[in-house]
Amino acid sequence: MRNSFNNNNIKLSEFNALIKLTAEMAKFLYPYIRQILQSRDDFIRNPKPWNEFKNRYIELISERFNTNSMKVKRLLDPSCNDEVFIKIILTLALCISEDGFLNLSSTLLNY
Amino acid sequence: MLQNKLLFNQSSVSLEINGLPDYSNNENQDNISIISQWKLMIIDKPVIEGNLDHLRSIMKAFYSYSITILNDENASYNSQLIDIKPENCYTHILLLKSSKPNVKPLNIRIGNSVFADIINCFDQLGFSNKVKNIYSKEFKSLTNQKHSFLKYKKNISEFLLPPVVSLFSIFLFSTAFIYIYDNNENRSLLNYRNKLVSIQSINKLL
Repeated sequence: MRNSFNNNNIKLSEFNALIKLTAEMAKFLYPYIRQILQSRDDFIRNPKPWNEFKNRYIELISERFNTNSMKVKRLLDPSCNDEVFIKIILTLALCISEDGFLNLSSTLLNY
Repeated sequence: MLQNKLLFNQSSVSLEINGLPDYSNNENQDNISIISQWKLMIIDKPVIEGNLDHLRSIMKAFYSYSITILNDENASYNSQLIDIKPENCYTHILLLKSSKPNVKPLNIRIGNSVFADIINCFDQLGFSNKVKNIYSKEFKSLTNQKHSFLKYKKNISEFLLPPVVSLFSIFLFSTAFIYIYDNNENRSLLNYRNKLVSIQSINKLL
């Protein structure tokens, strides 16, 4: 899916380190994550945070992912990507506890 | 006797725990080991309260439901005390059934943000050193399942299987080649010996 010619496989230790880093960042960014979730819950009254997050995320995907791939095209399709984006942001919101990185890694391995 | 009170806050949700320390175990006066009452307060929603068993079943319901959501399974949880089901991908419906007779079930709709706040309040409670005897055996097994799955995935599929298969295939191929090589070598030695004998016999004749 990535728009890169390097085919390096990530090592398990690097994978775990990235997961821990993401979980720690989610702890600090929880107020923003919550604001985005709340904006989606109450989209009619407060659509700005959700729209900003979604636009930036789509921008990053189209910059770094192979947009010819069908999976990436489905991610960029505005009619069906809301559910995936909600799940991604909710996963981050649920992994801010002390063993949150375990939740995050088991979710990713299960994906 | 004055009861201890602990509060766990997360944005729009607040969890209050009331109880006493276990003096027979010489516990600190600030701790709570015997929970007499708890209250889950969500902004703009009715207060949910009950005893320790209610708290355990509600925690179990929320954790089970969150795992099913994250694993893309059929997300709904039903029990005697609480039902949780999704209305759509950003709203969840809680149906709280009272253990008291003649009390109608309470229907509460919460969004993902409030759902995450509730889970984080329960996480704070679970990791708090001041409150004990929260986790039931069932709940422990629920969290262990996730960890054992992780270990299984790491140990067997990633580490053991590929090297075992490769070693076995190398062993199979190498034994076959050694056998063929030995046969050829023996034959060539025999031929060489026959030649020597024939040369010797020619020499004798001459």
